[in-house]
Amino acid sequence: MNLTSEQKMLVETVRRFVENEMLPLEDEIEETGRLAPEKARALFEKASANGMYAMNIPEEFGGGGLSAVDTMLVEEQFGHAKDILIRRAFGNVYEVLLKCNEAQRERWLLPTVRGERTCSIAITEPNAGSDAAAIKTRAVPDGKGGWKITGGKHFISDGEFSDFFVVSVVTDASAGAKGISLFLVDKGTPGFIIGRDQKMMGLTGTSHVELAFDEVPVGPENLLGGEGQGFKLILETLGRVRLAQVCARAVGKSVRLLNLMVSYAQERKQFGKPIGDFQMIQQMIADSVVEINASRLLVLDAASDIDNGIDARDKIAMAKFYVSEVLGRVADRAVQVYGGMGYCADLPIERMYRDARIYRIFDGTSEIHRTVVARSAMKHGEALYGTL
Amino acid sequence: MKVLVPVKRVADYNVKVRPKSDGSGVELANVKMSMNPFDEIAVEEAVRLKEAGVASEVIAVSCGIAACQETLRTALAMGADRAILVETDAELQSLAVAKLLKVVADKEGAQLVICGKQAIDDDANQTAQMLAALLDWGQATYASKLSVADGTIEVTREVDGGLETLALALPAVVSADLRLNEPRYATLPNIMKAKKKPLDTLKAAELGVDVAPRVATLSVYTPPERKGGIKVGSVAELVHKLKDDTRVL
Ligand SMILES: Cc1cc2nc3c(=O)[nH]c(=O)nc-3n(C[C@H](O)[C@H](O)[C@H](O)COP(=O)(O)OP(=O)(O)OC[C@H]3O[C@@H](n4cnc5c(N)ncnc54)[C@H](O)[C@@H]3O)c2cc1C
Repeated sequence: MNLTSEQKMLVETVRRFVENEMLPLEDEIEETGRLAPEKARALFEKASANGMYAMNIPEEFGGGGLSAVDTMLVEEQFGHAKDILIRRAFGNVYEVLLKCNEAQRERWLLPTVRGERTCSIAITEPNAGSDAAAIKTRAVPDGKGGWKITGGKHFISDGEFSDFFVVSVVTDASAGAKGISLFLVDKGTPGFIIGRDQKMMGLTGTSHVELAFDEVPVGPENLLGGEGQGFKLILETLGRVRLAQVCARAVGKSVRLLNLMVSYAQERKQFGKPIGDFQMIQQMIADSVVEINASRLLVLDAASDIDNGIDARDKIAMAKFYVSEVLGRVADRAVQVYGGMGYCADLPIERMYRDARIYRIFDGTSEIHRTVVARSAMKHGEALYGTL
Repeated sequence: MKVLVPVKRVADYNVKVRPKSDGSGVELANVKMSMNPFDEIAVEEAVRLKEAGVASEVIAVSCGIAACQETLRTALAMGADRAILVETDAELQSLAVAKLLKVVADKEGAQLVICGKQAIDDDANQTAQMLAALLDWGQATYASKLSVADGTIEVTREVDGGLETLALALPAVVSADLRLNEPRYATLPNIMKAKKKPLDTLKAAELGVDVAPRVATLSVYTPPERKGGIKVGSVAELVHKLKDDTRVL
């Protein structure tokens, strides 16, 4: 990949910010289980002052206006850091908010781009994960042009911190996926309860909460996109989020792990020589190098399609499972190259190994994305993987 | 007041450099290159003078190969107004750079040149001093504080005994030390704007300056690994070690 001089500068600047301002906070998060609010605030202010908050959102709404390709380049750099640090420094300003109509913008989109409000996406339910169209949370008309929402969600990332939620809800139970709508629900709405933090294997510092809705009143002003448009909006807009927040960040994590492996292979001596002289260690390094480069190409190729207005869903599915599985392999090799030190919590590898595991699960499991790719191959044939 | 800031493209400070296998220099192929960190401090200081309304224009200048444009773009993204590349493929030593900078300083009518105190590649620490001599301007090296008022600048410099404050009449040359400031991150809008700022190229060969190297490098090699220290049991043994074993005394 030949980057332009702006892209290089962008990548270097973000990397420097991540290394100087963010990585030093990681040990404390791991030890205390949280990012201290005053540190989160300071981090946000510094990133925001440098124009690094909400870089993915068009300039007309106050964002950085990066193309999809540039977004992926910076997201890869974000990926070096822990999830919670990325959220606070650079924002989770999901593109689905761009579907806000003019009246909704002031209340939800613009303050989110400015970092005054934060938002979570709430789709998954205890009984509807991979099968996201099988959700049971429903909105019943209140007879006055509004609805009352009842149901529950779980695993909602950053839910403790968020001021509002984009919630998928059934508005027409007879219409299947076409009966699902998205609502913007503010924290504090009567009947809306933000439940307990569900402890995870990794991602220390980020909350993942249960949500309960008990006849939560919402009006037409809370409806994002049209009624019954929810599933379509999710499919249209969450692909880019997935490519950025899961795929590109996973590449960054793999790069950080490989950097650590490469330097340890040269420093650590056993049997009188650096372990990097042993071919079995070299194989782990070589495989990681190639898989990481292949990962990035998949991500940037999909992003380039997005920039050119081409439907990138199949490519995003390819990237999603390949890149997250590469991260899994690289993390596993990093532990192996470091031996006992890789398993020991004194070094970041142990926590990165735990953090890596979720990448194959959230935002669609590897199995689901493989199914998408295989079905597309059978439908489109060589168009999916050839050059004709 | 126009401020000129020379910036040098050097191996990034994170890179572990190695000598070339033939000992002719440092291996720079496939090495990440960045702006010399002391020059970043110089750019930051110049941009602050501009922001304070003291400087009218900040001009970044780099001498060397075409790739130095990247270093200049970084200076532009940090806030320099425009940039000049004095392009040459020739090896440039400090004196040659000082001569080229003199031409640019004269041509631009610069009142103040802020250099990094040294470049982290050769650590020569002499370009600013040579430039001041060639221009016949006052100089203040290792600045840790700088303020400008009414045609005079006041520079606090870190010297062995503590801090020394100098007052200089403009025009002058200042070299920046580590504690002068903490350079900013280039902001996203400035990175995007950097491309639109003017970057002019002068051919070094056309400036009528003799840039031929004056110093020859005989060989470059890794320093021998340091041996561990020893503990001595008595003063007598210490004196013996210093006198007879190491011949320090
Ligand atoms: C840390 C974390 C953060 C999350 N953040 C959010 C969030 O912010 N918002 C949100 O809405 N959700 C979030 N989720 C939910 C996440 O997206 C789901 O966990 C994920 O989609 C999988 O759903 P599930 O857990 O119900 O697994 P299930 O769907 O029950 O899957 C179980 C297993 O069956 C396999 N399987 C299922 N269907 C098929 C099939 N058709 N073919 C083959 N295999 C199949 C799966 O691949 C998996 O291996 C988060 C989850 C976690 C753990």
